[in-house]
Amino acid sequence: MANLLWLQGGACSGNTMSFLNAEEPSACDLVTDFGINVLWHPSLGVELGDNLQRLLNDCVSGKTPLDIFVFEGSVVNAPNGTGEWNRFAGKPMKQWVKALSGVATFVVAIGDCATWGGIPATAPNPSESQGLQFLKRNHGGFLGKEFRSKAGLPVINIPGCPAHPDWITQIVVAVATGRGGEIGLDELQRPKTFFQSFTQTGCTRNMHFAYKVSATEFGQRKGCLYYDLGCRGPMTHSPCNRILWNRQSSKTRSGMPCLGCTEPEFPFFDLAPGTVFKTQTVMGIPKDLPTGVDKKGYIALTGAAKNAAPAWAEQDMFIV
Amino acid sequence: MATGDDSLRTMLRVMLQSGLKTKSEPRAYTSEEGLRIAARLRSLSATAFAEKLTVAGFTLSPYAPPHSEDDLSQSCETCMYYVTHRRFCELPELNVPVEKEWSCRLWRI
Ligand code: SF4
Repeated sequence: MANLLWLQGGACSGNTMSFLNAEEPSACDLVTDFGINVLWHPSLGVELGDNLQRLLNDCVSGKTPLDIFVFEGSVVNAPNGTGEWNRFAGKPMKQWVKALSGVATFVVAIGDCATWGGIPATAPNPSESQGLQFLKRNHGGFLGKEFRSKAGLPVINIPGCPAHPDWITQIVVAVATGRGGEIGLDELQRPKTFFQSFTQTGCTRNMHFAYKVSATEFGQRKGCLYYDLGCRGPMTHSPCNRILWNRQSSKTRSGMPCLGCTEPEFPFFDLAPGTVFKTQTVMGIPKDLPTGVDKKGYIALTGAAKNAAPAWAEQDMFIV
Repeated sequence: MATGDDSLRTMLRVMLQSGLKTKSEPRAYTSEEGLRIAARLRSLSATAFAEKLTVAGFTLSPYAPPHSEDDLSQSCETCMYYVTHRRFCELPELNVPVEKEWSCRLWRI
């Protein structure tokens, strides 16, 4: 039996919605098949008021062992570092986060806001939001760079806006079944099993990417979304095209550019007008090139690929 | 047999060869400039070809940017909107047959 506690800071509940839609395993499977005891969750917990405070205090005191502390949403520090804008169970949420992280065996940050600060931390960041161990790409965040949970691990970051349901439940199961120490993390503390490959890996538009055939409108089945519509698939780490959404599809498969939501800089360019769904260029060359490709290589590759493109690559091959 | 694309391409070439004054600079080097030119193109009728060529700044030969370190000549051939086999510009605001050595200021790679 592993005790899991889930709290929410500066959040929209998107990751809770995602979690409740998990299928492999489902939220119910966590309880029935994997012995996870959900102590409390914002949408599932029944305790209120004094009872909830007692439950939380029992975790902090060690009376109830806290195996997995899941946090969704940013840590709100406003106003002036007090955290009073986000009070919960009698005190600023940030105080609960600090105390509970200190006693938990594993700490898991779910979604962009908990991992990097996300949309709330976008400049000018009026809520003084931070992620648990990062603020955007800067290591540190609310708990500090050196933080380690009782298992000796830093915060396990599962970013996304929201995170895919199965990324959440699979990591929770790994932790609950004693395999937490085996989770390899990348330099941003994301499980490598999900975040080593690119969003582009498995995208049905890869041939259009290779032959430099561009989609020019949303929902077009033909063409790559990177060149004109601002898709960040070639430089974003996520398995969105390997572990499909609703077991059906992905943004890019359905003609919607990837927004790069698993990377710390999301939302990119601070959402300045004209930057969303439009590839940003400097002198006609994309500002953000596919990871590992330099400008000279990109230019050379484009000429060669366009010359080599077969006629079929220019046509819509997905006939319904 | 000449297709619709072929005859329209010929018509555009003749317009350009006959000295149609097009605005090939400033190039759309920022997204804002690109959006501004695209908005002007959208306000034109789909068959206002002379205006389209003028606003987009068509040239019959590649554009070589001054002071570029990248040795990058800008032609339809390398542009993201160019469809190689059809020799066609798929930028929705233009949507015209072109030649690979032509260029316009909306070029992007
Ligand atoms: S293919 Fe590119 S350079 Fe050629 S006309 Fe279209 S936008 Fe301009």
